[in-house]
Formats: sequence, C-alpha cells, structure tokens
Amino acid sequence: MPASAANNRPEDLTARLGVGAGAAQGEALLKALREVKNQIIGNKTKKLLYLHLGAVPKIVSVLAAAAASPSSDSGGISRGGDAAVIVQAAAAIGSFACGVEDGVRAVLDAGAVPHLTSILSHDDEKVVDAGARSLKMIFQSELAPKYDVLQEKNLNFILSLLDSDNENVTELAASIIAHSCETNEQQKALCDAGVLLRFVSLLGGSSNQKDGCLESIAAVIKNNPEVSSRFSCTGNGKALNALANLIQDRYPHTRLLACKCLIAVGHASPCYVEELQIKTKLVLVLVELLEEPGRVGNEAPFSLKTLIADDEELHKQALSVNAIEKLCSILQMSSVQARRLQGILLALAELCSKLEKCRCQLMSPQVLNLIVDALKHDCMDVRVAACDCIRNITRSLKNLSAGCLSSEAFIVRLVQLSHDPSTSVQIAALGALCNIVINCATRKSVLIKCGGVSQLVQLSKSMDSALRSKSVLALRNLMFLADITDKEFILKELTLCTLASLIYDSECSIQEQALALTSDLVDGCSQSVKHVLAEDSIILDAVMRQLQNASSIGVCIQGMFVLSNIAAGSESDKDTVMNYLVPPQTDSCIPSFTIKFLQSKDILLRVASLWCFVNLTDPASVGSSRRVARLQDAGIVLQLKSMLNDPCLDCKLRARMILEQCMELETAQA
Amino acid sequence: MEIGEDPCGHRHLPSPKPTALFVLVFHFHRTIDEISCAAPMSKKVITREEWERKLKDVKIRKEDMNKLVMNFLVTEGYVEAAEKFRVESGTEPDIDLATITDRMAVKKALQSGNVEDAIEKVNDLNPTILDTNPQLYFHLQQQRLIELIRSGKIEEALEFAQEELAPRGEENQSFLEELERTVALLAFEDVKNCPYGELLDVSQRLKTASELNAAILTSQSHEKDPKLPSLLKMLIWAQNQLDEKAAYPRINNLTTAALEDPAV
Repeated sequence: MPASAANNRPEDLTARLGVGAGAAQGEALLKALREVKNQIIGNKTKKLLYLHLGAVPKIVSVLAAAAASPSSDSGGISRGGDAAVIVQAAAAIGSFACGVEDGVRAVLDAGAVPHLTSILSHDDEKVVDAGARSLKMIFQSELAPKYDVLQEKNLNFILSLLDSDNENVTELAASIIAHSCETNEQQKALCDAGVLLRFVSLLGGSSNQKDGCLESIAAVIKNNPEVSSRFSCTGNGKALNALANLIQDRYPHTRLLACKCLIAVGHASPCYVEELQIKTKLVLVLVELLEEPGRVGNEAPFSLKTLIADDEELHKQALSVNAIEKLCSILQMSSVQARRLQGILLALAELCSKLEKCRCQLMSPQVLNLIVDALKHDCMDVRVAACDCIRNITRSLKNLSAGCLSSEAFIVRLVQLSHDPSTSVQIAALGALCNIVINCATRKSVLIKCGGVSQLVQLSKSMDSALRSKSVLALRNLMFLADITDKEFILKELTLCTLASLIYDSECSIQEQALALTSDLVDGCSQSVKHVLAEDSIILDAVMRQLQNASSIGVCIQGMFVLSNIAAGSESDKDTVMNYLVPPQTDSCIPSFTIKFLQSKDILLRVASLWCFVNLTDPASVGSSRRVARLQDAGIVLQLKSMLNDPCLDCKLRARMILEQCMELETAQA
Repeated sequence: MEIGEDPCGHRHLPSPKPTALFVLVFHFHRTIDEISCAAPMSKKVITREEWERKLKDVKIRKEDMNKLVMNFLVTEGYVEAAEKFRVESGTEPDIDLATITDRMAVKKALQSGNVEDAIEKVNDLNPTILDTNPQLYFHLQQQRLIELIRSGKIEEALEFAQEELAPRGEENQSFLEELERTVALLAFEDVKNCPYGELLDVSQRLKTASELNAAILTSQSHEKDPKLPSLLKMLIWAQNQLDEKAAYPRINNLTTAALEDPAV
C-alpha cells in the first residue's frame, strides 16, 4: 500500500501531530500517535529521527490538551476517545525516554512529567497504567529530576503512589525513591514515613514489584546505620528474613537484588549480618549468578567484589565454591561485554589481593593471556580493572619470580598504558608496574630498555599528585636492589635536581617515597654516595631540611634511613653524616631533631635513628673513636644509655650494640 | 514448549492421568537415598508389587495437581480450556484470564506471518516490552524480513533490511551475524533448499512467537514456562539416576505413564 506508506513518513506524521491548526483531530490524531509509537518502540534510529523533527513537544501538547479536556468527565464516546489519545501519547513519550539520552532530555524539556503525573489519578485504569509506565521509564534515567522527599508535598505524593493497588503505580514509586534518595536525612525521612514497612509488605507481590522494592530498599538503607538497623528490627527481623528468603528466589534478577540489599545492610550495620552463615550463603548465591546471561551476570561480579572486599575469610569461602574457576571460565568465553569483563577482572583482583592460593589458580597461561589482552581493551574501565588484577597477582613474590609475567610485551604494554589518555588507567598501570619491577633483574632491564624510566621520570613531574606519587614509587621499586649500572642510569634520567624537588614535594607521601628512593640508591653501594653529595650536596641538603622541618613521621623515618645508609659508607661519608648530626663547632647546638627522634614514640623512627649511630660507631673504622667522643660531648651517649630499657626489643638491642661498640673503642684506645 | 495448532478451538481438556508420574518424582529422592546405602556391587531389584506399594504411600493433594494443570493451560494460552477448568475444578488461575486472550492474539498474528500486526498488538498490551528487550525486537524485525522474502517482495525486503535492520546490526555484533544469514536468502533462486532455508520454515515463526510469548508473560510477572514439562524432565533425570543403582518398574512412555516390568 504505497499511498498509506507515504502518509506514514516521519515528516508527514510529525506534521499531523500537535494541537490547533494543521494538526489532525479525533480518529486521525489517534492513528498518527499510534503509528509514531509503533515506529519508535525498540528503534533508536527512528527515535532520533522524530526527536530531530520536533515530535516530542507536539505529543506532549496533545497529552496536555487531552488530559485537561473537560469532556473526560462527560462520559460517553468522547471520554473513551480522550482516554485512547492519552494512552497513545503517554506510551510514545515513555518510549522516547527509553534508551536515548536526548529523548529523555526532550521529554523533560517539553514538560511531560507534570502532565503524566496528573493522569495517574484518572478513572480509567489503562490511562493510569500508561502514565505510570511512561514515568517509570523517565525515572530510570539519571537525567530525571530528583524528588526531594524532605518536602512534605513530595513525600506525600510518593506515599500516595505507594498506597495504590495498581502495580505499575507502586513500581513507579519504587523507581522514584531509588532514583531520588541520596542523603542521610532523606533516607531517614522515608524510613520515618513507614516506606520500608510498605516495601516489605510489597515483597510478597509479583516479581516485577519485588524487584522494584528491593532496589528501593537498598537505596534507603545504603550507608545509613540508623535506618539500616531499624529496617533489620522491622517485625522482629521479619524484613531480614524476607530478604534471606529472596536470595533463593526463582528469578536470578530478584536473587541478585536481594543479595545487594543484604550487602547494604551488612555494610551499614554489620551486627545484623555478621553471622558467617548468611555471608557464606551470599557468596554461594552470587557465585552462581556469575554465570547468568545479561544484566544479572554483568552485575553479579561487582556485588561479589563488594561483599568479600578486604575479608580474608570470605575470600576463602569464595575459593571453596570455585569462584575463581567460574570467573576464569567466563573470561574464556568469546566476546564478553565490557561491563561484564570489568566486573570479572575486579572480582579476580579482589580475590587475589590477600590469598596466595587464589593467585596460584590464575597462573594458567590462557587466563593470564586473557588478562593481559584486557589491557588493550577499548573500554577504559576494563583497562583499569586489568591493571588492578595484575597488580594483585604480582603481590605474590612466588609468582613474580616464577617468571610467568615476565614477557617483554606485557611490560611494554603496561609502560604504554602509563601514557593512557585516562588518568585512572595511568594510575592503575603504575600500580601494576610498581609490583612487577620490585624484585626481578630481568624485568627491571626490560623496563629500562623499553624507555620506561624516562616515562616514569616524566610522570614524576606531573601536576597530578596521584600520578607523581605512583611514578616515584615505581622508580623507588626499580631502584631497590638494582645493580650499579641500572642505578646510575635511573639517576641520570631522573637528575639530581628532580630528585631534590621531589624530596621537597608538597605532598608528604611523595617526600617519603623520594627519600626512600634515595636510600635505595645509596643502599649497599658506596659508589652511589658520591651522587648524594654532588652538586653542592643538593640531595643531602634537601634530606636535612626535611628532617629539620619534621613534617611527618614517615618523612623523618625515610630521611634517617638515608643518613644511616650513607653512614655505612667510607670514612669520609661517615664524617659527612656526623657533621650534619653533630656539627663540629662546640658553640653551635646540635640539630634539635637528633635527640628528639631517639625519644620519639614511633618505634621505626627510633630504630632508623639508632642505625645511624650503629654505622657511625663501627669499630672497624678508624675515625670511630673520634666520633664517639663527639657523641659523648653532645649528650647522645647518655640518651643511648637510657634506651637500654626501651620497650621495643629491636631498639634495646641496637642501643646495646652501639654502647658496646663505644666501649670497645674506648678500651682499644686505652 | 511450542503449540503448533490454534488453541482456541479446544473443547476437551487434556485428560490428566499423571498420578503415578508425580508420585514417582516425589518419591525418588527417598528411594535413591535408601538404595545408595546398600551394597553398590549388585543392582537391587524392585518388583512391581513393591514399587506400587511404595507409590501408594505417597500422598499428592488434588489441589496441587489442579494447580499444575491450570498453570499449564494459562502459560500455554488455552484460555477457553482454562476458563472451563476453573469452573469445573474451582481452581483459580494466578493471572487475569482476559490477558491470555490478548497474548494469544499477538501469538496468532505472528504465527500467521502478520508480524506488523503482532508488534502493534504487543505495543498496545505493554509498550515497554519491546523497548527493553532489544533481542526480541530484532527477532521480530528479522521475522518481518523473512515474511517479505517468503512473499517474493525482494525490493521491499532489501529496503527494509537496509533501513530497519542494518542499524540494529551496528548496535550488536550477534544481530549483524543473524542479519547476514537472513539477507543471504535473497541470493538464492530456490530459497527453500538453500543453506539458510530453515529460516523460512514454520518452526522459525514458532520460535519467534514463543520468544514473544515468554516476554509478555515475564512482563506480567508470570513464569514463562509451564511447570509440567520441568516435572517431566525431573522424572527422566531421576529415573536415569536410579538406573545406575536399581532395576525397577520404569516409565518409558510419558504419555501413558505405564510402568514397565524391571528387566532382571
């Protein structure tokens, strides 16, 4: 039928919509609306086309006119006609708001929400259904306006929806709450109004209603201990029991949502979900849900990760129900969706964060290759997740030295990712590199050969402090136990000037890493000390300046380790450190920090300071007796004697060791 | 489950004689446990008398069976039969029977090749079904294309594939593959015997109709599959389990549910 096909062209149809001159009336209008609706449902291309043609405001004006029409009260045929127009218009508006962001925007801009809301009180149940469905579509979008439930009017509106017998209306109320409830006050207001009670009673309803209620319950109790414990006490634990039953519901989506609710209760008020039995069940259910297709399978790994986060016991539980095997088998399926892949990798990363047993299960070449492949994924979130996963796998020294992850291409790939356009990918990639280079000469040399050092140096000058921090940490790990040529190379790329400015960085954590990098440079390698003293002792001056400022304990500890590593060097190195700690001129008082550090409450700072003096009083060194005399004069020996009863065994032993060395030197002289 | 015939003409209820069958399913669990304690070497033989005695001990409530039958009628869309069964047995369906009529009208339109009509009907029933179910929407559009090819409207088919289906293929790789298979039909003179000829088969219509039926049921918060077939599956599974441990009167013919004497 070419004639009618021509009439159904989007341009012609749009022209017939609307109110007033030129627009179709009555049956013709109804037909046009229905045709547009049928063309756009499920069809993104058509939606965009009609949006472009300006159909949305026209349809909203038709809805507004029909909803306001007085004939809707007069009964008879015209009333039915109006209802039919409203139903078609509402359905079309709902469809525009589904799946296309521009569509939601157009619907909101055309002012559809108040009109759709007004038809919720229509006599005709079909009109109410259409309005509620359409609004539900709108409120599933992030762009929809939030109802501030702290305003009485809004709260009453939502409560009236919740009281409806119409399932579409109660589901709408649940969607609005899930979408709008954000602050603790809002959560409390909803709870005070009895919303949670109502939801619990609705949990007995149809599966769609159940799902809506579960989503809203999670939104109302999330991170709110007070509301969460009130929920848990509802009806003597009836609410919690209902959730516990629903994690075994017939429908996977319902099971997932019930798990999410229980996880939210567990996080907000741990005492109610503390029994391991419930958590074990949750682990079991979520691990089963991993294999579900679609949305459920996509979201399940995220929930699993949240549930077991930082809990070694639950990691073990997950391991015992073959979580890793299942995650890996999904990883090995062809064409896994980005969201799912991200979740799987994050769940694997979590499982590998603590237990060596978990990491070992991932050591098959196929699985590792897939994780490494994910580093190249188009989606940024997947790349981040893959980096996190590798970082946690390589926490294991055994895996590191087993060389499974030493392939050159893979380190090169991580170095490339440290230039990624996304900062979160850069940070995650640096995190993985930090672990990978820590203790393996071959990997260090791969990194150095592929230009990784200059890349890290460049990032250490970044404006973003997180990037600076991670790149300095990576350089530090690279420096750790490196051979002298590598050390020289790293320092040449880094330059003394950059190192000094990192020691002076505005962030304490970065100062700390830069100092640690310096002490790793000097460690066990007296040849490197010359660098610390080069260019007018630019580095050592920086170290001393930070020790005097004593901005954070961590900085002081690392600074003292630098000094003690230098003091382990030659005679003149020892004297240099000595001159900094106890200046030779008798009139200038010793730097205030020396004694203060020895008296610090922090064990590690005391240990680091004591090690300095252990090295300065080494009996094998000719200048030691001279230095001991100066320590005596400066009152440091007295302080050391008071440390013979230090509560920390390590400190006690170091103090005794120093004093014994002093005695040995004195007797040798006598 | 697919129903090939038009269900509206039914006057007779499917005669439910499933007692023995249900008893078996409910009974098996215990029997397997009992037997697994026995010596695993030789198979235990259970005589027909013994078996029937055991079955007699298991009680099944009449209402439960009626509900199963009602569930089957409702899910499969036998609305008149369901209505009659409601009156005769007093079993209330868990869904408004009027919605079955609508659902069946959609299914019927699709089964008779009128895909557009089916789409309009399902959109009237609930406009969110096809909007939230891209795979189903694609399969319906694919079915439209198949119907165009079947009726020899080649130019229209090409235009439709290009305008309506190609954009869906861009959104989803697996849709693209299916689309390519369907469009390939156009390349053959004798489409019925070409490699993808099965797309033109009635079974393809039924497949799409069944997918649509399931989606409508889900939107009505109703289970998409009747429970009866899963009980039968469970029966077969349980018999297979038991076969390893015992010789017993087996049900081989599900439609007669006759107990066959154990082979000793």
